[in-house]
Amino acid sequence: MTRRALDLTINGEPYELAVEPHWTLLHVLRRELGMTGTKENCLEAECGVCTVLLDGKAVNACILLVEQARGRSIVTIEGLGDPEHLHPLQQAFIEHGAVQCGYCIPGMILSAKSFLDERPGRVPSEAEVREALSGTLCRCTGYQKIVDAVIAAARQMNAWPERPGNAP
Amino acid sequence: MGFAFHRPESLDAAIGIACEHGETARFLAGGTDLIVQINRRRIAPGHLISLAGLGLESIDETDREVVLGAMATHDAVVTHPGFGKQLVALAEASAVIGGRQVRNIATVGGNIVNASPAADLVPVLMALDATVELRGRDGTCSMPLDRFLVERGRTERRPDEILTAVRFDKPPVRSATAFLKAGRRKAMEISVVCVAAHLVPGRKARIAIGAAAARTLRVPQAEALVEANGRAAFAEAGRLAARQVTPIDDVRASARYRRLLVATLVERALAACADRVEAGAA
Repeated sequence: MTRRALDLTINGEPYELAVEPHWTLLHVLRRELGMTGTKENCLEAECGVCTVLLDGKAVNACILLVEQARGRSIVTIEGLGDPEHLHPLQQAFIEHGAVQCGYCIPGMILSAKSFLDERPGRVPSEAEVREALSGTLCRCTGYQKIVDAVIAAARQMNAWPERPGNAP
Repeated sequence: MGFAFHRPESLDAAIGIACEHGETARFLAGGTDLIVQINRRRIAPGHLISLAGLGLESIDETDREVVLGAMATHDAVVTHPGFGKQLVALAEASAVIGGRQVRNIATVGGNIVNASPAADLVPVLMALDATVELRGRDGTCSMPLDRFLVERGRTERRPDEILTAVRFDKPPVRSATAFLKAGRRKAMEISVVCVAAHLVPGRKARIAIGAAAARTLRVPQAEALVEANGRAAFAEAGRLAARQVTPIDDVRASARYRRLLVATLVERALAACADRVEAGAA
């Protein structure tokens, strides 16, 4: 198959790629661009470790053809913060010890970000957070500390909406 | 894995590509089922024809009817402000399809055309007497959803036809819908059985059942019983429905358990409708 030119915005940066039609967004991120923060596991949209934001909404990069993302804006975990400027979700996950092996955490954080960004100014209930994260599996933590961290991050983001990185 | 990806700029161009390539072409909506099937090598299409950007994404309401574009996502159904009252079952069903990541991509049209007997939104649409709209090389046509579905994985759609929308009449103010799903966990689960009910007291009852036969099906005898006798007949309607379904044993449940679920969920869905009508009138 011949490659075709394709424009994408990833973490605010424009990319011009030459892609094969069957490549998924996950393949492009990890294999073509070396952005290995987005994880690879079930490849069937069951586990959520490959979650990225497509125009702000959480999607499974493993079953999204990169052609379906043509011209659109992607945010991966690499685009969320850095060690000096952590996103409130990243800070809350550290403070709550919400990370064990870590493999699900990029997807967990982006699933949570998509969910919180849809309801700015609100602190969600535990049940709402659990439902929002139900497409993202963790086999280590038992979820409690992850849920606690997401609620704490929501409080933080509401308290300081003007802080860089806190805005949706 | 090798296919050509087409991004047509009009419905007619999409239909033209489908006609050109025949059985080797597949239309691509959200792809949450199609891409998984390709990855599992269950299917190997030579051409994927994207339906994105062709104006099929909207959810429109007139005074008389509701039109769901085939490319409307389940997230769009869940968050649509018009689906709060009489039509709440639409949101109840779309809200339990996959996880949020899937609902942000997966579409109403995909849920229908995929023709899974366990599709969650389909029973609700069937309970609302929905009609599907098809557009192909011979023009457009429409048919009742109940007739469109043939069996597991098969519909009346021809390979050149695109399902463009599904529409139904707005139910009266004094009416309700309900959707109930049984699974082994609350989220990210394929239905063991799912049931949708639509009740217009004194006038109309509709009951549609998923994952209990080779396709989503209505149970007209149980509906007639409820139309004649109201709430007093809900339990008997459930028992009658359980005799009319033809469930199978599989990894998720036994056929016997599915029949028990049908009886219980039909009664509960009808009761939920009746309770909602009363709550709306209060």
